[in-house]
Amino acid sequence: MTMMMASPGSIAFEAEALCLSYPKRFVGETRVLQDLSFQLPEGAVVGLVGRNGAGKSSLLRCLLGLTAPTAGSSRLLGCPSNALTDELRERLGYVAQTPNLFGWLSGHEHLDELGRLYRDFDARRALALATQFDVTMGTRADKLSLGDQQKLSVVLALAHDPDLLLMDEPVASLDPLARRDFMRALFAERSPAKAERPRSVLLSSHLLGDLERVVSHVMFLREGRVQLVDEWDALVENLRLLKLEAKPEAALPGLVHERPVGGGVWHALLDLRRADGIAADRGQVLRMDDLFEELNA
Amino acid sequence: MHMDFNISPQDTLPIYRQIVEQLRRGIAGGQCRPGDELPSVRALAQLHAINPMTVSKAYSLLEAEGLLERRRGVGMVVASTQPLRAGKGERLALLQPALQAAAAQAVQLGLDEQAALRLFQQCLQEETNK
Repeated sequence: MTMMMASPGSIAFEAEALCLSYPKRFVGETRVLQDLSFQLPEGAVVGLVGRNGAGKSSLLRCLLGLTAPTAGSSRLLGCPSNALTDELRERLGYVAQTPNLFGWLSGHEHLDELGRLYRDFDARRALALATQFDVTMGTRADKLSLGDQQKLSVVLALAHDPDLLLMDEPVASLDPLARRDFMRALFAERSPAKAERPRSVLLSSHLLGDLERVVSHVMFLREGRVQLVDEWDALVENLRLLKLEAKPEAALPGLVHERPVGGGVWHALLDLRRADGIAADRGQVLRMDDLFEELNA
Repeated sequence: MHMDFNISPQDTLPIYRQIVEQLRRGIAGGQCRPGDELPSVRALAQLHAINPMTVSKAYSLLEAEGLLERRRGVGMVVASTQPLRAGKGERLALLQPALQAAAAQAVQLGLDEQAALRLFQQCLQEETNK
């Protein structure tokens, strides 16, 4: 019954003016990430949400030091992404969008390989997870279905009980029951040595109903920028959608976002914490998919 | 104590508030009695595939209000100091928000008062017969 809390002030995921751009073939550049800054506390379970091409995978790769940013910096548990220490790497689990498996190795053989790499590797934990997820461990990875490959990737990422977990659409190919098991596995009991440490998770997904169950925070990305980042409960309690007959004034207190919806009608997204009581009783509460539409349509 | 929580991410209340409100109603209605043990944070979170911190948050809020208390070796229990059953006025106040929302919908749908009240009576009967 102990409430798991991080030591106050410790930051799990952090970016400062992070930019990533690629030169275009002939002239100009494609801006993938534009001036991203955020700090997310240890123990947070963060949903990374945005349309395809919004920069979610690029952000995850920058945080992991797999892609070098054009400008700015990022840190994982205080450790700069471009100089992750071995100690930090041992505390890290990553599930890439395309399962990162060795096609010629079976699940069991993958576990053997990982066991040599990670000191905290726990074969029993991994096998229990594989059973829970119903992954066929004896088959070559390239003979598994995409769903089974994803499940195996998740098992491998969780096998050393990482403090930090970054996942890029880990459950896109899983059925609803397997996704429930996946969510349970995120919060499974930790090994005794780490029991007091909360795990921090950053996962991108389009399955917003799933995210609503598990996230503590949500970060909305659009065209390489952070649109909104906050605690999810706070957003549910404080964001309200108002339907207006005209374009809202820019000075409307608490205005977060606006968009025309046709017929002269405008949608205004207000934050009650800053709205001076305006929308308190006539605004509409937004679930994550409604909010996604408001922010991206 | 057996308490079935009805957790829905589609609800307009955050999940922690759903737990808080359902426990509040359970305690006010006498369905949860003083000393009844609550499911552990982990068990409730795993059952519904939700974040344990969400359950913790709900329990802590009710503990701060004095409705729950932490008991060594047992976990969270319904506090012993509260009246067995809340007064009728208090219980009606807990019901009000749900009825207010239903009333708003009835007006939107253009239903007359008689029809709406009949439907509520029917719903009540179904619940008592369960």
